[in-house]
Amino acid sequence: MKNAVAMQRGIAQRDRTPLITKLILLCVFILGIAIIAMGYAGMQAYSASGFSSETAYWAIHALSGDVYSAWNKKLEPQLSALTADERAAVGDAARALLTDAWENQKSGAGAQAAELADSEEMTYKLLYATYLVGGPKVSSAAKKELAAADGDALRAGLLRCLADEGAPLPEAAGKAVGELTGLERQAALMQAWFVSNDSAASTEQANTLKKGVRDKAVQLTAFRMIARGEVSWLWQLVVANSRTAILVGIILALDMLLLAILMMGDKTWILDFKWIIILLIVDFLLLFQLMPLIYMVIKAFFPESKFSLETFKRLYTYSLNLDALKNTLIAAFATMILGTLLAFPLAWLVGRTNLYGKKFFRSLFVLTYMVPPYVGAMAWLRLLNPNVGTINQWLRLLFGLSDAPGPLNVYSLPGMIWVLTSFYYPYAFITISRAMEKMDPSLEEASRISGSSPLKTVFTVTLPMMMPSLISGALLVFVSAASCYGIPSIIGSPGRVHTVTTRIVEYVALGQQGLNDATGMAVFLMVLAVIILFISDVVLAKRQYITVSGKSVRPAIVDLRKWRVPMTVIVGIFAVIVIFIPFITIFSTSFKIDVGKSMFAENNFTITNWKTVFGRVETLNSLKNSLIFAAVTATIGIVIACTMSYLLQRTRIRGRKIPDFLITLGSGTPSVVIALGLIMTMKGNFGINIYNTAYIMIIAYTIKYLMMGMRTVVSAMSQIHPSLEECSQVSGASWLRTMRRITGPLIFPSIAAGWFLIFIPSFYELSMTTLLYSSTTKTIGFQLYEYWTFTSQPMSCAMAFGILMIVVFLNFVLNRLTKGEFSI
Amino acid sequence: MATITIKHITKAFGDNVVLREFNETFGDGEFITLLGPSGCGKTTMLRIIAGFEKPTSGELYIGDQLVSGGKTFIPPEKRGIGMVFQSYAVWPHMNVYDNVAYPLTIQKKSKAEIREKVNRVLDIVHLAQYARRFPNQLSGGQQQRVALARALVAEPQLLLLDEPLSNLDAKLRETMRFEIKEIQRQLGITVVYVTHDQTEAMAMSDRILLINRGVVQQSGTPEDIYNRPANQFVADFLGKVDFFKGESRDGRILFPAMGGQSIPYDGPRKGGVDVAIRPENLYFAADGPLSGTLESQYYLGDVDDCRVRVGDTLVRVIVNGHEYKTLTPGQPVRLGIRDFMVFEDDGLLEQMLQIQT
Repeated sequence: MKNAVAMQRGIAQRDRTPLITKLILLCVFILGIAIIAMGYAGMQAYSASGFSSETAYWAIHALSGDVYSAWNKKLEPQLSALTADERAAVGDAARALLTDAWENQKSGAGAQAAELADSEEMTYKLLYATYLVGGPKVSSAAKKELAAADGDALRAGLLRCLADEGAPLPEAAGKAVGELTGLERQAALMQAWFVSNDSAASTEQANTLKKGVRDKAVQLTAFRMIARGEVSWLWQLVVANSRTAILVGIILALDMLLLAILMMGDKTWILDFKWIIILLIVDFLLLFQLMPLIYMVIKAFFPESKFSLETFKRLYTYSLNLDALKNTLIAAFATMILGTLLAFPLAWLVGRTNLYGKKFFRSLFVLTYMVPPYVGAMAWLRLLNPNVGTINQWLRLLFGLSDAPGPLNVYSLPGMIWVLTSFYYPYAFITISRAMEKMDPSLEEASRISGSSPLKTVFTVTLPMMMPSLISGALLVFVSAASCYGIPSIIGSPGRVHTVTTRIVEYVALGQQGLNDATGMAVFLMVLAVIILFISDVVLAKRQYITVSGKSVRPAIVDLRKWRVPMTVIVGIFAVIVIFIPFITIFSTSFKIDVGKSMFAENNFTITNWKTVFGRVETLNSLKNSLIFAAVTATIGIVIACTMSYLLQRTRIRGRKIPDFLITLGSGTPSVVIALGLIMTMKGNFGINIYNTAYIMIIAYTIKYLMMGMRTVVSAMSQIHPSLEECSQVSGASWLRTMRRITGPLIFPSIAAGWFLIFIPSFYELSMTTLLYSSTTKTIGFQLYEYWTFTSQPMSCAMAFGILMIVVFLNFVLNRLTKGEFSI
Repeated sequence: MATITIKHITKAFGDNVVLREFNETFGDGEFITLLGPSGCGKTTMLRIIAGFEKPTSGELYIGDQLVSGGKTFIPPEKRGIGMVFQSYAVWPHMNVYDNVAYPLTIQKKSKAEIREKVNRVLDIVHLAQYARRFPNQLSGGQQQRVALARALVAEPQLLLLDEPLSNLDAKLRETMRFEIKEIQRQLGITVVYVTHDQTEAMAMSDRILLINRGVVQQSGTPEDIYNRPANQFVADFLGKVDFFKGESRDGRILFPAMGGQSIPYDGPRKGGVDVAIRPENLYFAADGPLSGTLESQYYLGDVDDCRVRVGDTLVRVIVNGHEYKTLTPGQPVRLGIRDFMVFEDDGLLEQMLQIQT
């Protein structure tokens, strides 16, 4: 039965001519264009109005409504309670007051007021608005008294006073009106009347309006619009949101164009629901990722909306920036070389030989990947501080050097390179060892049987085959080191070793002009990242020999023989230096009073640091923020990741590669650049204002870390042969049931792993947070940075160790959740 | 001289013994096939010969040289062997020429000599025009021939092939089968060939070693193994065969499950026996010893695959396709028998036929 219906539908769809779809597309496209045009017209109208804030425009609209209701509900019945003479007198007084107020405020506008106020009703509307926005003030004490009195009786009394100077002044208005006479007295009476009528909401609107219409001429425009009823809600909506309208229009039109291009390949012109999903993801990335980047490039080359290289000239002739540039390149390059030189032998020893404790070392090196880089920077700073660094103290003792600073100094370019290397070599290690373990062992066996020794095989077969992975690992280290902020800011800044990232953050702190300069610096980083992304994703991908296959291969293990023990010792020493000593340093420093002395020295052990740090409300708040932001990011991220994995692995839908490309681009973009782009485009100038909110941070994290989750789920999905799902469908399970019973359980460990892979870096993020935080959205990473810079090193070490423990705990949870299949 | 002598080789991975007391000698220029179901240990034996696995005990000689055994272990690169892997293992970062030239480069041969030899071997495998191509531009069959060329280029006296045809389609497999055999005959080298495909083994081998559960079940020419299987497993693994429990006495074998019908037998076995009959050795004959009812028939073109109910037993009979139209299911038939094999009923039949994986 169901099938029959489906068949019928299938036939019906085939029968429908593509014309309808085309027409719909065209209509929506035209709608998009219309919205753009409307938005543009609104923007023109708005520019002509001279208001400084779109919200003021909203306020006029709201205010005019309020005036109307105030008139209707409050004034009308009270006026009708008066005698005709009294009414005329009040009317006269009102007109006189209005003319006077306008004459006083905006010279020469009195005549216009008289002209506009041709009906009684209009007079009161305008008067009400005028007093709300710019009239004389009633003191708050007087307001209280007015509010306390019986409303209707008071107002009736006030109106009578207004009509007849001899009428008794209501007692409650005594304070407000005081000893005033003549027009002033009448103005005060009127004001008191309005105040007693006023609602809190309209006061707020009036305040917004005041902000937007400080200019008298603009005020006049606003009043005129109220008077002429020129404020239809629709137009108001368009004018006040003209930028948002343009943005929505552009996206709508672009979507339709994209959809049309996608549909063109598929002659049937049947709308596939999957396209809508693709478009939604693309829209999100277009808006929050591509637009900011493009805007930044434009801003850098067109600083005053004219093409000019002035920004670059100014920036890069300034020696500090030039140094920053040089430092960044040197540090990143050196880190890349050093990191790869460390990672390749380590990956080979751990992955392909019979080294003792391979598994342990492997998880150890991979674990470093999950440690926030700034924590490492803090540790090395404690160890290599030229004066009180622990290693320096030992070295001085060992070689009998004088007490002078040294011999090693972490506050230097080499110091920074060392710390960068010790935290970024895992990137290369992971890439290389993954490729190494996936390599088909028979490729090496073929070399052995051809007469080549194991060592020669490493150089003629293993290494060349690894080359693409090796290079892409190296490039990953390069771009990560170049765009790192945590380490240069902690180590470089005190040592005056500036890098592009630290300069960008410094520039942003300077305000508007700084923002432009920051853009110029960011463009450099961005270009660097894009080039590298291109090399590793386009050029290298074509030469990638090792494809992840579902086939389980057992890599051939090389017997190290007599080198087995020495090699294990060397790898062990490396692990101790790079991993254990820094962690122990962080741990021990957190219990110290004087950081220069040993933890066990007399009177130098305390747990106050821990108590203070974790007792403070701000710490707990920022911890809460971090957990919430990271959880939200990870959840959004994993939903997109699962959707994308399905589209990429299980459908042949056209256009599925577009979001994939954008996501890759996003993760390759340096964090600082992402944050800067968002700052510059998300503060209302493009119709979206999320500046200083949690949203902007969550969006930034999502863009940066989404790919980590996606890759994990995609690779899991690629290992599940479609036949497993097809079999379930043949057995009669619906698509949903197949997903729930077959695919879901099979990839659940990867989904969990993907979630954590997004969660953990978002949890301790620093680079983007530094630029995006506001007083209510500080995160634990930023809090730690503040403690380190402004408060106390031992306290921040306590905090750092706390973060480490959370990360290790999460890792443990992940391991349990995935039954040991995944840990980071 | 590339004879291979295998003495008492046993191989275990942990507790799992995959080869037990392997004793064989492969003659010079012989085409030996190690045949058996997957997991039987044939690939392990090949990898022991190549030097990728060390035997747990036992000795292996190539020619007169001890290559593995006791404290001696010669690594694969020193053994001078050619080998073709199941996955071909063609290096994706080198083109066809470089792949094939690699063994010679290792031997530091002169450029001219390398060029000459590579070109010659590429000619043999019909790949001369593809020399500059990269593996990802080649079809599976071409990659397979690159692997073969690479294995042959250094003119080894011993060539090892690990299921080299299993990834090819049926047509190509048949062509390659004869090409490999032809090349072996031309070069006169010793070949050890691993496969689980009996047709391949039958078509190519001088001698087949049928292995199951790490033990050689029978070693002999294809004809020997097919017609004179040493045990029920061998009979079952090669070709089609059905087993029937019978009683041998007074020059006849009586089948209780066929309603007590019997066939004449003049062999030596007495008492309980397993009779193995190949369906193509049965035929319809008015004077045949067995009588039954034709139950169903499947027309396969060249042959007609029939099921005949004899007593309580369903017997498979494969006859010439021409007979299809002369028969109708349900009609009574008599079966003649050309040949059959008789094994002692040791009660292990079921267990023996179970394929261990």
